[in-house]
Amino acid sequence: MTAVENTLNVIASDEAAEIAAARRNRLVAIATPVATAATLIFLWEAGVRVFGVPDYIAPTPSAVASTLVEEFPQLMRNFWPTLYESLMGFAVGNLAAVLIAVAFVHSRLAERAFFPIAVFINTIPILAIAPILVLIFGAGLTAKVVIAALICFFPTLVNMVRGLQAVSPQALELARILSASKSEVFWKIRLPSSLPFLFSALKIAATTSVIGAIVGEWVGADLGLGALIIDATFNFRSALLYATVFLSSGLSVLLFAAVTIAERLVVRW
Amino acid sequence: MDAVSLNAAAGTQVPAASLRNAWVKFGQFTAIQDISLEIEAGAFYSILGPSGCGKSTLLRLVSDLIPPAAGEVSVFGKTTEAARLAREFAFVFQDATLLPWRSALKNVELPLEIGRSRGIDIPVSDKSPMELLELVGLKGREHALPHELSGGMRQRVAIARALVCKPKLLLMDEPFGALDEMTRDHLNLQLLKVWEETGVTILFVTHSIPEAVFLGQKVLMLKAHPGRLHEIVDIDLPYPRSIAQRDTPEFTRYSAHLRGLLEAC
Repeated sequence: MTAVENTLNVIASDEAAEIAAARRNRLVAIATPVATAATLIFLWEAGVRVFGVPDYIAPTPSAVASTLVEEFPQLMRNFWPTLYESLMGFAVGNLAAVLIAVAFVHSRLAERAFFPIAVFINTIPILAIAPILVLIFGAGLTAKVVIAALICFFPTLVNMVRGLQAVSPQALELARILSASKSEVFWKIRLPSSLPFLFSALKIAATTSVIGAIVGEWVGADLGLGALIIDATFNFRSALLYATVFLSSGLSVLLFAAVTIAERLVVRW
Repeated sequence: MDAVSLNAAAGTQVPAASLRNAWVKFGQFTAIQDISLEIEAGAFYSILGPSGCGKSTLLRLVSDLIPPAAGEVSVFGKTTEAARLAREFAFVFQDATLLPWRSALKNVELPLEIGRSRGIDIPVSDKSPMELLELVGLKGREHALPHELSGGMRQRVAIARALVCKPKLLLMDEPFGALDEMTRDHLNLQLLKVWEETGVTILFVTHSIPEAVFLGQKVLMLKAHPGRLHEIVDIDLPYPRSIAQRDTPEFTRYSAHLRGLLEAC
């Protein structure tokens, strides 16, 4: 073998080693949190068994898992209304926030007039305002959608206003040189440049809209994950309670993942 | 007739820009004091001066981005506003100012999209946006997003975008200031090629004496505090210019002369 070949082989094996190291790193990155979670679940199971904690105080993870399987039809029956309320609230709250942000950016007067009110509404705890909204809108779907919408509204409003204003002065000078109209500046420059801001708000809204829907169901509902949480708590069915909570967080993760995928597709820059 | 003399011949007509006793003030601060000047059509002007001499302000005045506090400014015999509406001039900023969500090609096409829906008659270059990208040496990168391009490439996209409406006057505000010297040399040569091919009038603001001499037929020297016209220096070096010319005694003489003026400011 010549010296050159030797060198080439060394380089090739170096590359192979690098690829293997990168693969190992990725494996470690995934394995570490998984192993930690598995250990914690095992400790929980062991703790409950060793100390003889009664089932109605804390169920074992295995009991929660088997409830999740056994009660799956009932859980799903309660899952769909909550999903629907969350999605409706997400859509209504964010749409309203985006439209109002657009109004704020176009009119200083509108911003001065309504922004303090928006801040005030945002300071009212959602748990405190939920009964009021149920009184106004009744125990049906509307109240839950309004509560979910309300909780999404403020972060999106603030982010969207910032996003629409985050245009560089030079981009606006460029628009001026091209004699662009206000609506052209909006559609071609302001709106696209606000999208990264909008998506960070939508990620927040994806999880909070589920909270809003569940809180709405607490106040008054026959069906939904929130209603099931109340029901399971008062009947000391703690395994069902835990399974419901698990499903609720699953719903949030689902919505969050959907927004993240949409973001990857839309914000490519 | 070669491109340079063609450019020069155009100079006998209406001036590309004309300033008569123009003042610019920002509140109490006088940015430009009483400048009177005629920019010959088809010529290449470098604008040089210490910081605070109003180089950028001068371009912004001509491009209708800021109004004069006193005096008159016209572009090809029209008001700056009329010239802006007719897209007679284009601006290249210090930073490329590309829209990050648009590909290189889409960025070049932007000026064509604006105003179209309002039925405004926009002049269009004989070259397609694709050909303009080729002219600035970006063939094959049309579909790249700005963040996938280097600083020099982004600035070239900005130049192609400026050319797409067939401007008669190109205003450039330190377009290559942030680039390394190799890239800058390369872009200077490309810009001269664009100038020769299109016959456009160029006002080119720079901080660099060699760049000013290398590019311009004339160098407008400004003075600072307040910004005033100091001197107009004719650069009698033949075109097409080459990097090697920078080592000639004439070139060095011009550079030394300008450095002397700059230090006297």
